[in-house]
Amino acid sequence: MNQEKKVVLASQIIDGTGTKPLEESAILIEGSTIVKVARKSEILQIVEHQEYDLLDYTGFVLIPGMVDCHTHHNGFGDGRLGDEIAEIPDEILTIKSSSNARIALFSGITTIRENGPKNMTMFRLRDAIKSGIEIGPRMNLCGRPVSIIGGHMGYFGGEVTGVFEVTRFVRSLIKEGADYIKITQTGGTTKTSFPLLPAFNIDELSAITNEAKKFGKLTATHCVSTEGTINSLDSGVDMIIHSVFKEPDGTDKFRPDVAERLAESEAFVNPTLHVFRARAWEMEKLALKRPLSKNEIKLFDEHRRNFDQRLLDCSKMMEMGVKVITGSDSSWGDYKLGNTIHETECINMAGYSAPQSFDSVTLGAAKALDMDDIVGSLEVGKKADMVVIKGNPLEEIGNLRNVHEVIFNGDIIDRGSKDSNNVYIQSPPSKN
Amino acid sequence: MTDNNYDFTLIKAGLLVDGNGGNNFQKASVLIKNGLIKEVGNQESVLAPEGSTVKVLDYGDKTILPGLIDCHVHLNGIGDGRVGNDLVTLPDEVLALQSAKNARRHLYSGVTTVRDCGAKNNTTFMLRKAVEMGITPSPRLILTGRPISIVGGHLGYFGEEATGEVECIQSVRKLIKQGADFIKITATGGSTITSLPFRPSFTKKEIQSITDEAHKMGKHVAAHCSSSQGIINALDSGVDTIIHGYHIDSDETYNYRPEITEKFIEKGVFLNPTIYQARETIKVLESKQDQGSLTEIERENLETTKYRSEKVAEIVSKMVSEGVKLACGSDASWTYYKTGDFQSEISAHVSVGLSPIEAIVSATKDSAKSCWIDDKVGTLSENKIADILVVDGDPTKDINNLRNVVDVITNGEIVDRENLI
Repeated sequence: MNQEKKVVLASQIIDGTGTKPLEESAILIEGSTIVKVARKSEILQIVEHQEYDLLDYTGFVLIPGMVDCHTHHNGFGDGRLGDEIAEIPDEILTIKSSSNARIALFSGITTIRENGPKNMTMFRLRDAIKSGIEIGPRMNLCGRPVSIIGGHMGYFGGEVTGVFEVTRFVRSLIKEGADYIKITQTGGTTKTSFPLLPAFNIDELSAITNEAKKFGKLTATHCVSTEGTINSLDSGVDMIIHSVFKEPDGTDKFRPDVAERLAESEAFVNPTLHVFRARAWEMEKLALKRPLSKNEIKLFDEHRRNFDQRLLDCSKMMEMGVKVITGSDSSWGDYKLGNTIHETECINMAGYSAPQSFDSVTLGAAKALDMDDIVGSLEVGKKADMVVIKGNPLEEIGNLRNVHEVIFNGDIIDRGSKDSNNVYIQSPPSKN
Repeated sequence: MTDNNYDFTLIKAGLLVDGNGGNNFQKASVLIKNGLIKEVGNQESVLAPEGSTVKVLDYGDKTILPGLIDCHVHLNGIGDGRVGNDLVTLPDEVLALQSAKNARRHLYSGVTTVRDCGAKNNTTFMLRKAVEMGITPSPRLILTGRPISIVGGHLGYFGEEATGEVECIQSVRKLIKQGADFIKITATGGSTITSLPFRPSFTKKEIQSITDEAHKMGKHVAAHCSSSQGIINALDSGVDTIIHGYHIDSDETYNYRPEITEKFIEKGVFLNPTIYQARETIKVLESKQDQGSLTEIERENLETTKYRSEKVAEIVSKMVSEGVKLACGSDASWTYYKTGDFQSEISAHVSVGLSPIEAIVSATKDSAKSCWIDDKVGTLSENKIADILVVDGDPTKDINNLRNVVDVITNGEIVDRENLI
């Protein structure tokens, strides 16, 4: 076990626990673990007669490694849908996932929850990382999403029917290495699925959550219509993804009663706001290049309206006390990994203050993944995952994009050339 | 990183080694259009047409030469000492990941083309698709997919065992259908546990059926041969490159066989002697010995490897002095030889009697010839693809200067060697 000591200095340390930024402070790392957070003078005194590396980030802000609760590593973020991705061979998707994993890490995301890849691809990537072949962030994996036949993401290999099959499947996933169980409780973009309708029957859904709970695993459901969210609440699901308020006829209707239940429950909501805006951004970029067709203008308006609606519903949920966390949903649709902060910024737009938004991508997110015992804040005993940034994110959340250095498991990550890191950055249309 | 704003790219350097073995220009220029070399010559004479836009890459006193061509790699390999029997237990997805990592390392170290001499299942074909999809950087890939082996033969665990002429033909057709650019066979056993390294594997008839079918489809054949009878069988049956080429008899004694050398020369077949592979093993095991952590098996391995390494160098030197042509291929990342150090094999060619410039030719023009791609790459000459290596120092004086990589250029564009994505 590597027990090398490192002392990390920065002009400000935001430890993620909600306290004021620490000044004149330092962090002592031993191997991959934080062993002390204290006044700079105190820490330097401790190591005075020992061998240690000094990492001096004077002029910068040190924050906990960030946590993205919703990623798709198989994805390209170039507009292609899951139906197409599922046709790509597993070996290629694993290579893509690996590249996406590095992008996430280089952008300051040191923990990810992957929300549904094909077959064994993410387990294989994690194996490769464990054996030292590859590098990537800490991973909270589901293996394949649990889907009804023809349901959303069923093409990734997890279609099951009935209490018996769902129970067996949950056990298989856990055997393969799943850290949590992802369920698609409504349809989605999957061509053969019905986004406005619930997927599993309550007995099936409850069987999944009960089996997961038995093994101490959390559950998360994809819900793009209200009935799915209600089912999830009825079955004790731990995270509601998208949590779109839509009636079976497709009309948008915010349901205060459902939001009330969400607020009262233990469940976290992952609103995935930017993924809706990403499509609108792409169309706006296209509009800057050439005039849009009538049909495109219609779609553009729809996407913008949809985003506004999601933002509004999210604001209402926040007001009612629903716990909202950052989960980007990248690289799904048009949203590329490496741009998680677009989502945190949307959460800020929806009504969370900058400090609350910051929490949604650090300790709050870690809590939602039940990983706050090891990551999410810079506290003694936790993993030395930290990001050095320029500017205070508690004043301006966008400062989270100004990543200067990433430290993961106590090691500085070589992020390669600046040019290669700029490749994945997605900017808003006006800035292009 | 395509730079479409310019009509031409003009590369200037203090010295140009064109890969042909002579014709080294001082103060040289290479003019490139659409990724192809248009003109090579002196800086005064090689200029873009008037009125055209030119991107100039001026490397001052540095040396430019053709991108290196490693005619023997194993992209699946990890290079941590594990043998193929262990490697093959890894899932295909993991091996595809490792292949992507090795491909990147080759490219960043100056190797712009690799011939992969055997991988599990479809892993290298999948890598190629991933490269075509723009997911991961890679040198030019010349692939066999799976090597063809006898039942239980060397590398048979990769998934292509065949028996009899019909099955051999079937294997060739299947591999070509899947995208093979050449056919690799194992004409003797090797490190594979169930194989016999000092005995031939396929019959001459089987090998002939493979070479006939491959040649019919315009593909070449390379054969792993770690004993004399295997070399003779392969040479008599139309194989185009002999790999390893150890002169070992079935009683495990090393005996130089002049008739083998004669056959090489008569048929114009290349030898890829993979000299450095054993030296790297010795280096790793000796450092373990120094640390006192050598196991009994490793100690035996070290002794045998030392002996074999000397014998091989002796015999290859003899073959070289008689006029056998070498094609440089590292065999990395097989056993301990990690990818990214092709330069060590090129230096090893110097150690068996090639001049530095001849060693460079063996790793550029002749390597390209042995891969049947010398119409596209291997020299800096008109209409070749602009795969160029820029190094600091004159490698024709000291071959180790090949390690001082300044830039790697493929298709006329600088590779970002710090792209870790």
